[in-house]
Order: sequence, then structure tokens, then C-alpha cells
Amino acid sequence: MGTAQILFWSLTALALISAIMVLVSKNPVYSVLWLIVVFFAISGHYILLNAQFLAIVNLIVYAGAIMVLFLFVIMLMNLNTETEPQKSIWMKFFGVVAGGLLLSFFISFVISSADLKGKSAQLKEGEIGLIKTLGKALFNDYVIPFEIASILFLSAMVGAVVIGKKD
Amino acid sequence: MWTDFLILMKQEMAVIAMIFILLFMKLGRDRSNESFMNTMNVLLLLNLILGFVFNHEGILFNEMFRTSRLIAFEKNILNLAMLIISLQSYSWLKTNKHVPEFYILMLSSLLGMFFMISSGNLLMFYLGLEMSTIPLAAAANFDLTKRRSSEGAMKLIFSSAFSSACLLFGISMLYGTTGTLVFSELPHLINNNPLQLFAFILIIAGFAFKISVVPFHLWTADVYEGAPVAVTSFLSVVSKGAVLFAFVSVLYTVFSPLAKVWYNMLFILSLLTIITGNLFAIRQENFKRFLAFSSIAQVGFILVGISRSSDISTTSVIYFVLIYVFSNLAAFGVVSLVTAVTGKENISDYKGFYKTNPGLSWVLTIALFSLAGVPPTAGFFGKFFLLIAGAGKGNYVLISIAAVNIVISLYYYLRVVKAIFMDANPTPLPSIRTPLMPKLAFIVCVAGAVTIGVVSPVYDYIYSLIVLR
Amino acid sequence: MQHIWIVLGVLFVLLNIAAGLIWLERRMLAMWQDRLGPNRAGPLGILIVLADTLKLFFKEDWIPPFADKWVFITAPAIVVASVLMSFVIIPFSPSIIVSDLNVGILFFLAMSSLGVYSIVLGGWASNNKYSLLGALRGASQMIAYEVFMGLSLMGIVMLTGSFKLSDIVNAQKDVWFVFKQPVALVIFFIAGVAETHRLPFDIPEAESELIAGFHSEYSGMKFGMFFIGEYLGVTLISAMTATMFFGGWLGPAFLPPWAWFFIKTFAFILFFILLRASLPRPRYDQLMETGWKVLLPLVLLNLMVTGAIALWIRG
Repeated sequence: MGTAQILFWSLTALALISAIMVLVSKNPVYSVLWLIVVFFAISGHYILLNAQFLAIVNLIVYAGAIMVLFLFVIMLMNLNTETEPQKSIWMKFFGVVAGGLLLSFFISFVISSADLKGKSAQLKEGEIGLIKTLGKALFNDYVIPFEIASILFLSAMVGAVVIGKKD
Repeated sequence: MWTDFLILMKQEMAVIAMIFILLFMKLGRDRSNESFMNTMNVLLLLNLILGFVFNHEGILFNEMFRTSRLIAFEKNILNLAMLIISLQSYSWLKTNKHVPEFYILMLSSLLGMFFMISSGNLLMFYLGLEMSTIPLAAAANFDLTKRRSSEGAMKLIFSSAFSSACLLFGISMLYGTTGTLVFSELPHLINNNPLQLFAFILIIAGFAFKISVVPFHLWTADVYEGAPVAVTSFLSVVSKGAVLFAFVSVLYTVFSPLAKVWYNMLFILSLLTIITGNLFAIRQENFKRFLAFSSIAQVGFILVGISRSSDISTTSVIYFVLIYVFSNLAAFGVVSLVTAVTGKENISDYKGFYKTNPGLSWVLTIALFSLAGVPPTAGFFGKFFLLIAGAGKGNYVLISIAAVNIVISLYYYLRVVKAIFMDANPTPLPSIRTPLMPKLAFIVCVAGAVTIGVVSPVYDYIYSLIVLR
Repeated sequence: MQHIWIVLGVLFVLLNIAAGLIWLERRMLAMWQDRLGPNRAGPLGILIVLADTLKLFFKEDWIPPFADKWVFITAPAIVVASVLMSFVIIPFSPSIIVSDLNVGILFFLAMSSLGVYSIVLGGWASNNKYSLLGALRGASQMIAYEVFMGLSLMGIVMLTGSFKLSDIVNAQKDVWFVFKQPVALVIFFIAGVAETHRLPFDIPEAESELIAGFHSEYSGMKFGMFFIGEYLGVTLISAMTATMFFGGWLGPAFLPPWAWFFIKTFAFILFFILLRASLPRPRYDQLMETGWKVLLPLVLLNLMVTGAIALWIRG
């Protein structure tokens, strides 16, 4: 197997194991740390697809800023198993059943989509991920979503200040 | 020419201008709440009038933004609803500390809805949907001192985040199998691929959450009860209306090859919704929860109308949303005034309301009759056209069950009317003097609820907009 | 093959600089504060480096029983790892650069974002209220100043048209960016001092306020790792300032390029030490207020003016 294949499979394994550890960890801080590992694995996948800007910005924004905020909230909430209400065993059972059904549907849909077989992603090629092309596309075709996202952030900040400000 | 952009996007530009005017007014010198509210009401009225002039067709920015006279009319319905809500929340906002922020959040949500309705691309559609949800989640917590408010807002934001995740998963799979996000190119590329069906299910799940279709309705009652009444009326009328417009347009244009699939789905969903909404509304004590379940049932009827895809369906949906604006806002307006003045929200507190407030009780009665579908109020005509639109060969089971449920819904609406007029109460609600702004709102709502049904040019105008689109 | 030597060489040089800074800082602090520094161990006191390192190695490696063991152990590793990774993009000379990434500056910003975790996790894992306080304050300070650091570099990116550091150094052949972007230099340096939590922005450590802030429970080599991480951070910010604003390895031909690079970097390291020697520590709320209310508008203004002038020049 070539380097790209090895990298792909190891990153996938890392992402899946970390995602499962997010759900299984008893300590919420550990869940957040495993989630950060998931983001690293996903950034690795982005680099394999030559989406360089997306990979780095994923690290800066998601793993670097948003997860720190998650950590803040969890550290300040100080959760432990004694104070949290435990769900009944039936809820967990039905949750597993529903999730398993969804997963089996999804896999069967993917397998029976005949035209997806034989297509593979371009690795380490393509112009789309480079910053120059991305910048041009963002300001020509996608300028309305770009600008509207800024108004969305403004309104979210206004909302957060209204709720959070002490006066 | 850049003036073309301005004219085509005039309603969005107007709302953005209002947001920035508010920000600058807030940063400037200290003003009283009254001056803010008066300014805003005048600006919203100008915005509504602006929506009626200079309507053109056009597509901008590589199909990110489409507009037509129909879309402009839909946006104007939302503008009208916003104006009425702003007039009605006068008493509540008079003593509130964060008046400009309230308007900024509502206007941002409205802006998101505008972009969602006029999007021609799944990306812009998703962004508009998010932009309409997030300020509402902040606004649902506006009663900062009450715990119920925070509980409602938390439920709203968690549920809407999860449903947005489902929607996004569906959109990404649709993009993965077809290779394009543009609405006009998607129908040609949708060919019963199983993965596309899965994507379709997830996208419908995302929509169904926002319009409170059963079984995605569990957030509705708690959020409607916890949020302040102005935000509840915004959620129930404007948010639902906008997502319904987008739903109809997406379903008919993007998913038209899958018509047989979603007919069965809408059959089951509409039955479930109508029956669940009716059954739960019968038992409610809190007026806001009652109106929440009644609105769930109304959405069920709209789904009946959507189930046959044709121009008449679109017309009847838009017509029904217009009537629903008037009747629902009249009911919420009375609740808003009573809650702001006395703080009481239960139906049993409204016993003997007629003795102390005859005018308000007539407004509430007309609103409830219109919601129930009693002729000659407009609600009857709305439901009538919906059922006609839903009827077609072989659809009679659905129509007959819907008709039976209309009769069942009459029970719980008339229960409230009975409480107002016929029950005696040793401690009735005090006599409330309605200030000028809510009075204007009530006049508009009652006029709408009574006359729109019998004034036929309205329906013909909407039909002409759709046929000539 | 050549590449391995570059990597090993850079690693060797960096770790030596970080160790050598132990001595350099104490001597320079002493000189500026009008006293003698370490001058007993070895000529000019240079063996203090060896003495300190041996002392740290021989200390008892104690993990508090009330602390969260795994997170406690990984926190110092994160800071050293992220800072060392940031050195990957820095051009020491036209041919000595570990990896000339297309997104060089963004990579630097990503690695400095990861540095926040060491403080937060170190403070939390110690299960100690002073550590937690230091950690929370430190994290919010670092996140805020990261924004300014990134935005101040964007002016240079606009003028160069590329995120690659070698392109940026090459674009400074006629005139250094310090003359074209003075405001950005000041803001970048201030933000850099805050990112490495050195005085005057060392609220996380706050030696006289919070016992020792987030690393109160650390001793032995783990504390040494935090120390090394801090010195490496100082070296990193100095190297970045030298590269982005002062021409990197550019200079007259009588010295090889890497010598110019090291001279400029050491000049800024000395400036860091001078700041520590002379400035008092501002209060936490003064720090955050100045950041958000003064530096953010300044950096945004800088960006707009740079953009406007660049557009005007290009016709």
C-alpha cells in the first residue's frame, strides 16, 4: 500500500476510536480531549484531499477555540457521577436499537448505490483546496453567504450579550 | 448595475438598514423605550409599504438569490406579521430593559427567513435557516428572571442544533450523489438512488422539526410556554410561515421526481399531526401551550393541502398562512396584553373575561373561531381551500379524516369561548385599557380574520402570482 | 537524507537555545536590575544551565494523589510539542527550512491556539483552586491575544499575496516590512508577549499573586518542561518577528544568512528579557479591556488602511 493509503487507514482508525472514546468516557473532560483528537484526524483527512486551508482553519477554529470554550464550561460545571441523574436502562437499550437501525440503513443505502462504486477521491491533487482559488470563489460566487454569515455572527453576539450581561 | 442589486434585494436591504439604525441608536445617547418602539413601528410600516412596490423578477450571484413577485409577496406577509407583533408587544416592552436588542434579534431572524425563502442554492438555504434560528434561541430567553424561559431556550437550541445536523447530513449526501447544490439543476439529477432517498428523509426531518410536525414536535409546547409571548407569536407565525414557504418550494422544485415517495409520507405525517395536535390540545391548561398544540394541528391541515403537488396547493398554502397570521396573532395579542398587565396565563383565569373586557373577549372569540374554521371567518375558507387542494382522485380517506378532526378541534376552541362568556368567576381579570398600538394591531387582525375569506380578489391575486411565475 | 540533518540540526539548536536562555535571562535581568547574576558556577556562571537541569532531573517526580494523572502528565508535553512544531515553518536561511508550507502563517496560528490547552489542562488537572484560577485567566488572555496576533499578520499577507514564509522574506528584499507595517509590528509583539505569558502579561503564573498559577503543583522535570516551553515560545515569537518584519535572513553579504537570522532573533530575545526586567504587571481586567477595546480596533484599522493603500497602488 502506498503512503497515502496507510495514512488514510490509520487516520480513519484514529478518528473512529477517538469518536467512540468520546461517547464512552466517564469524565466529561476526557470526552472533550478525545474530541480534539477526532478533529486532528479529520484535519489529516482534509490534507490528504489537498484542502490545506480547510485543514488548518479546522484546527485553529474548532480544535483551538471552540473546544477551549467547551473545556471552560465543563470545568466550571464540575460534573461527576454522583450528582447527575442516570438514565434508565430501557432508554439506553432503545437508544442503541435506534442508532443501530440508522447505521444499518445507512450502510445498506451506501452499498446499494451502484454508481458510487468505482469512484475514488482525488488525493493530493486539485486546485480547489488552495487558498488562492478558495478566496476567489468565496468572493465571486459565494459572496452572499459570506456576508450574511457576518450578520449572523453579529446577531448571535447581541443575543449572547443580552443573556449573559450582568448589570 | 449595482442599482439592480439594490432593487432586487430591496427587502433584505431594508431590514439590514433597520438593524444598523438600531445599533447606532443604541450606541448613541440614552433614549426612552417609547422612542425606540415608535421609531421601530414607523420603520416597519415603511418596510411593509416598500414590499408592495417595485417588485421585479431576477436571479443574482449564480442562483444564490432568486426573487419573483410571488417571493416578494411571501416576504411581505412576514413583514406584516412582524409589524403586528411589534405593535402588540408594546405593553411588555415598555418596561423591558433591552428593547433595541429585542428588535435586533427579531429583525436578524426575519432577515434569515428572507434569505431562506429566496435561496436558489442549498448552501444559502441552510445559512438562512440557521440565521433564522439562532437569534430566536437567544430571544426565547428574553425573560431573564424566569427559569421557564431559560429552560425553553435551552430546549430550543439543543433541538434545533440536532435537527440542523440532520438537515446538513442530508444536504451533504445529496451533494455527494448529484454533485450540485443548485435547486434548478437538482431535479434532473435525482434518480431513485437509495442514498438520495436517505438524504431526502433527513432533509424532511430537518424541515419537519421547524414546522413542528409530529413526531418532531416535542420542543413546541415547552418552548412556547417558556418564551415571552412576543417571541412565541413570532415563532408560531413567522418562523412556521417562512419554513412552510420554503418547504413547499423545495418539495415541488427539487424533489419533484420523488413525488410518489413523499405523497405517502405526507399522508402519514399529516394524519399523525392532526390527531396528536387535537388530542393534546384538549387537555391543556396553560393558554400558550394550548395555542402551541392548536398550531401543531393547523400544520397538519397544511400538510394535507401540500400532499397533491399542483399550483392550487401552493396557492392554498400561502392563502392559509396569510389567514393564519391574522387569526393566530389576534389570539396571541390578547394573551400578550393580559400577561403583560396581570401575569396570568391559564385558561381558567380567563373565566368571566367578558364581564370585565368585552372588546378584548370579542377579539379573542373571533380569533378562536377563525382558527377553528367556523364560517364566515377567514379560517373556514382557508381550511376549505386546503382540503380542496388536497382532494384528488383516491385521496378521500385523508380528506374525510381531516374533516372529522376539524369538528373535534371545534370542541377545544369552543371550550375557551365558553369559559370567556359563560363561566362565572369570583375573581375575574381586571379591566384592561388597551393602549393605542395594540388596539391598531387588533383592528388589523380582526379585519383580516373577518374579511379576507369573503374578499375573493385576494385568493385570485395569489393564484395569479403562482401561475405567472 | 539532507532533510533529516536539517530537522535534527534545527532541533539541536533550538533545545540549546532554550537551555542557554536559562543563563542568559538571569544574567541580563541582573544586569538591568543593577545586580550580579549567577557568576559562581563556571566561567561567567554559564554552568548554571547544567546545574539547573541536573537539579530538575533529580527532584522527586511527584504527581499529586488528588490530581487527574493522565491529563497532569500530558499538559507540559502539549506546550513543548506545539511550540516545537511551530518552528517547522521558519526559514533560517534560504536553504534551511524544515517544511515550507503553503499555509505557513496559518500553521503558526494553529499551533499557538493549541498552546492554550497546556495552561487549561495543567490548571484543571492540578485540582487546586489557585491553579484553576490561573488557568482560566490565562486561557482567556491567550485566546483574546491570539486574535490580535493573527489579524496583525494579515496586513503582511495582503502586501505579499502569500502565506508562505519564504515568500514573505523574499518580498522584503527592497524594504523591510517594519517600515510598511509599524502598527502591525507593535501589536504583533504585544500579542506575542501575551501568548507566551511572559511579563508583563504573566497573569497565568503571577508569581506574587497566585502562588505559581497553573503550574503550582508541578515539580521536577514536568516543571522543567513548562519552563522550556516558555523559553521556546520566546524564541519563536522573536524568530517570527525577525522573519516577518525585519527581513529574516536578509542582510549584507559579509555574514552568512543564518547568522543574520540569529542576530535579529537574539535582539528580540533580549528585548523580551528587558520587558521582564522593567515593566509592572497590569491587572487582569485592565489587560483584557485594553486588548479588546484598544488593540482590536487598531488592528482592524491597520488591515483596512493596508488594503486600501495596496488597492490604490495596484491601480
